[in-house]
Amino acid sequence: MKTFSESHKTVFVVDHCPYMSESCRQHVEFDMLTKNRTQGIIPLAPISKSLWTCAIEASMEYCRIMYDIFPFRKLVNFIVSDSGSRTLNSWNQEDQNLQELMAALAVIGPPNPRADPECCSILHGLVEAVESLCKITDYQHESRTELMENADRVANRGRIICITNAKSDSHVQMLEDCVNETIHEHNKLAAGSDHLMQIQKCHLVLIHTYPVGEDSLVSDRPKKELSNVLISEVHSVKAGRHLSTKLNQLVQLHFDLASTTITNIPMKEEQHANTSANYDVELLHHKEAHVEFNKSAGEGYNGSSSRENCLKETVTLKWCTPRTNSVELHYCTGAFRISPVDVNSRPSSCLTNFLLNGRSVLLEQPRKSGSKVISHMLSSHGGEIFLHVLSSSRSILEDPPSISEGCGGRVTDYRITDFGEFMRENRLMPFAEPRYCMDGGPEVPLERAKEQLERHTRYWPMIISQTTIFNMQAVVPLASVIVKESLSEEDVLNCQKTIYNLVDMERKNDPLPISTAGTRGKGPKRDEQYRIMWNELETLVRAHVRGSDRHQRVMDCLMACRSKPPEEEERKKRGRKREDKEEKAEKPPKENEHEKKWQESERVKSVLDREKEDLAEAEVIKDSPDSPEPPNKKPHIMVEDTGPAEKSKGPMSLLSLWSSRINTANSRKHQEFVGRLNSVNNKAELYQHLKEENGAEGVENGKGSRQ
Amino acid sequence: MPTVVVMDVSLSMTRPVPVEGTEEFQRKHLAVHGLTMLFEHMATNYKLEFTAMVVFSSLWELMVPFTRDYNTLQEALSNIDDYDKTCLESALQGVSSVVQQEWGASIPSQIVLVTDGCLGIGKGSLQHSLATLNQRNDSNRFPLPFSFPSKLYIMCMANLEELQGSDSLEYLERLIDLNNGEGQIFTIDGPLCLKNVQSMFGKLIDVAYTPFHAVLKCGNLSSDVQVFPRPEPVITDEEIDPLPKTINTDLEVVGFIDIADISSPPVLSRHLVLPIALNKEGDEVGTGLADDMEDENSANQIAGKIPNFCVLLHGSLKVEGMVALVQLGPDWHGMLYSQADSKKKSNLMMSLFEPGLEPLPWLGKTMQLGPITDAKENPYGEEDNKSPFPLQPKNKRSYAQNVTVWIKPSGLQTDVQKILRNARKLPEKTQTFYKELNRLRKAALAFGFLDLLKGVSDMLERECTLLPDTAHPDAAFQLSHAAAQLKLASTGGSEHGAYDHNIVPLQTDFSGRNSDRI
Repeated sequence: MKTFSESHKTVFVVDHCPYMSESCRQHVEFDMLTKNRTQGIIPLAPISKSLWTCAIEASMEYCRIMYDIFPFRKLVNFIVSDSGSRTLNSWNQEDQNLQELMAALAVIGPPNPRADPECCSILHGLVEAVESLCKITDYQHESRTELMENADRVANRGRIICITNAKSDSHVQMLEDCVNETIHEHNKLAAGSDHLMQIQKCHLVLIHTYPVGEDSLVSDRPKKELSNVLISEVHSVKAGRHLSTKLNQLVQLHFDLASTTITNIPMKEEQHANTSANYDVELLHHKEAHVEFNKSAGEGYNGSSSRENCLKETVTLKWCTPRTNSVELHYCTGAFRISPVDVNSRPSSCLTNFLLNGRSVLLEQPRKSGSKVISHMLSSHGGEIFLHVLSSSRSILEDPPSISEGCGGRVTDYRITDFGEFMRENRLMPFAEPRYCMDGGPEVPLERAKEQLERHTRYWPMIISQTTIFNMQAVVPLASVIVKESLSEEDVLNCQKTIYNLVDMERKNDPLPISTAGTRGKGPKRDEQYRIMWNELETLVRAHVRGSDRHQRVMDCLMACRSKPPEEEERKKRGRKREDKEEKAEKPPKENEHEKKWQESERVKSVLDREKEDLAEAEVIKDSPDSPEPPNKKPHIMVEDTGPAEKSKGPMSLLSLWSSRINTANSRKHQEFVGRLNSVNNKAELYQHLKEENGAEGVENGKGSRQ
Repeated sequence: MPTVVVMDVSLSMTRPVPVEGTEEFQRKHLAVHGLTMLFEHMATNYKLEFTAMVVFSSLWELMVPFTRDYNTLQEALSNIDDYDKTCLESALQGVSSVVQQEWGASIPSQIVLVTDGCLGIGKGSLQHSLATLNQRNDSNRFPLPFSFPSKLYIMCMANLEELQGSDSLEYLERLIDLNNGEGQIFTIDGPLCLKNVQSMFGKLIDVAYTPFHAVLKCGNLSSDVQVFPRPEPVITDEEIDPLPKTINTDLEVVGFIDIADISSPPVLSRHLVLPIALNKEGDEVGTGLADDMEDENSANQIAGKIPNFCVLLHGSLKVEGMVALVQLGPDWHGMLYSQADSKKKSNLMMSLFEPGLEPLPWLGKTMQLGPITDAKENPYGEEDNKSPFPLQPKNKRSYAQNVTVWIKPSGLQTDVQKILRNARKLPEKTQTFYKELNRLRKAALAFGFLDLLKGVSDMLERECTLLPDTAHPDAAFQLSHAAAQLKLASTGGSEHGAYDHNIVPLQTDFSGRNSDRI
């Protein structure tokens, strides 16, 4: 359906002249005697609705069905006409619901039978209706703005449904002529206006209604083109349920609806709760839901015109009692909102409540013979019920090659569980309010989701044997945090702690979960394993280092702590092993002291238990047999180690280790004197930052070659 | 998209073609040559396509039912006999029934009609069919447009000049028009010879049978894939946006959603997503389909051992019961999921949603979907037992909000009975009594049905007189109060007739002295 077809705008014009207060002469018994009542009471006299009440009821029902099935983009403007015209709502989406209309109608009230019929006319309303059709709707406005230079593609069509009591055929013709003329005039006006639109097509539906038992003074007339803009049709309908039936047919025609009857719905009897009977419920929905029936039946289905003459009968589908609440992804080719024909009847409300409670019902095509064919499903989503069309024909994708036969199909150690975790972390959710970026522009949540996926996949090995760090529980605290867009201080601490923990593992020579698949023998030696692990960890952290200064601090910490490259290891063997170890072992406790001071002064409450952890960790390290480092050896080591670190791929120098550690700790505190910050044994080294920079560069170069 | 090859086997197809060399060539041979080329192409590059073959003259016959076995089709080509005259209408009728029987009315199909442009004579000729188009009724409707979505490709074993000389082109163009413009006519460029036939079929292959290759991406993870069948361009509203939309060759995953939340969404089409290994020239090495050729086999085996993102994604989607939301173009999305064909076999499948800002109302606007880390707290809950979906619409539908409809007398009677039932259980049911009373009052005011208010008021007064002696004294007070209020409302005007005014229970106090009330 075109977005801006005649059905985009419907104007109801209902006659509010004195004549409409006449009775429709159809009686309603409202005082029904029930059992166990006292005998001999005469029920109250039945009452009857006025023509007005019938017209309003019928048009409200039209709107109810329309709003149920098309809550958006199909708009109604309601006008009543007597000595003037009164418009009950606007084209705005907020005005488009039954409650608004009912409240407005209550204010209007029934027509006054004693008003002067001479001053009252439906013409006021019809003129107003044409004016209203020229007004642009929000949807039209939006589309025009969007299409820019192609704004003229947005059509302005509409429908006027007029319920009145006409005097004769010539009276009807007079009304039609009047609408025709008014359109002509208003189109001229609209041509020179920015906020009005010319009417390109108007469908006028004139409904003459009269009390039951009277003769109609007006004859029916099918669609007739009165001008190139106006098409008009006339219906002459008895009031009461006849009028409702007519409008029910019209709403189906106007909005391309079709009817499905769900049969065999088991329902508990009101009186006998232990028995159940089968009921039928008729639903309306867009006719697309029947596309398979219409076409395969092959009976004169040629576009939309055939429906004009006769409303197709309802299609019957059988209820299949749902067995489980299992979640399944059906192949669904369409989903259409429904509206029950008889919304308040007990079977209807039983069915709708069942669905609204979250159950889905499969529907089966009744067939005389052969297998069961499930062709539809009823299901509610957020308080709206949809009829889903399920594909019941043969699939063109049957017997596809299994994914295990294709590329990558023979690989058996995919990180399926880890990727599942990744998917859960990257699930989406709806964001209602618009958000704004730092630069003030609107922030699109979906773009944020893409950015997050990008960050989370910067380093993501697909198979278990390709990774060490993601197989280590010890790395999780860092790996889960480092991918974040921004890190908190606590995150940085956790990352650092993870790194220290790894250092400790290495010192204790803990085994690593390195895959030995594909290698012969026992696989790499322990220190080689650690080298692989550190390299991988560095790759991960380096991928995020540009994220923020805090990411950088994690990187710095890692660089400071990671183990020596092989060349250095050899040198260690040549005698300096002991000193190195002392350095490494001593650092964490020192770091810890800084941390504790800071915690005490600034974040006393929240970190008590973490502090305990820290203590425990510190104790583990203090347990080591290494004695405190002799201070006088320090400068010597520094001089020795910075040199090779720059040239070789060895990432760590003692200087960088020391200073970055100190920096990390101090950066959390108040501004320190730079000199004291970087002092060694209370001696400040001048131009230290120069060396640091050199060191860092060397590290970066070294890394690049390894990847 | 299943294909039906419709081959003209009328006598005119045996007209000789002057070809250099000794052997005598007929148009039929050219057609067979072209189709052979098409089948060979499909057997290597479009293996999953189902193809059927129909031959026709004045009658039609299904030579090969839908199959992926291109050898069978090839064999059938070599067993074609010559028959009488061309009768296109019945052939198209045949195609229509063959397709519908196999696939129903909603699966798009491609019809490759091979003819020489001699459209028959007399009754049953295309000229005759088209001339009588307006004299048809439902029982002998012209088969075009097909009742299923289709593309009609007409392969003419003739060149343009020849066709223009005989009005044939005009008639064939009308056929395409009748099929809502869906299709294309191919003619031989230059003299009729094998080379030119090849180039004509080459064009058809380019138009309809080139595999769709894309790159599936999820952040920095990616995989080369073939999407089968090829996604077709889509027009959503020809008036506002007449340009067909085609999907990107970069398919970008934007996030994940649980299957329960996406909840069997309606889709335009669904496609297999097959990982492929591309060699340096960009040619496909293997799509994972069984193949006879040995070198390809070994290439497949190597490709099978290289980790592929598709396989990882498929595995996790299957295990977690999730789908991946994938961006197909501007304001166009789809979903990736694991589809099981049988217990053992399953595949990565992609379904396309309708293009637009909000293809699924229960997810809301797609652009407004963002990462859960942006929320203050995880909407899925710490225990993963909640969900931010489905989105609730602003206004409830009529069936969810207890609307009042009195079109059938039973509707009105039920509502009145409810009031009566509660009236007899006063004062226990005071709240429900007034709730139902106000509901009826509101509807009656909106419908301008004031007589009903008067009637119900009378009824409540009568109920008051019928109260048994054992009744609680409050019942009588509430009934007469309600009756009086309704009567006031029925006169219209004043605040009693206001829609938003509610009748509230009479404040009574029977705890203290009986006589001292209110």
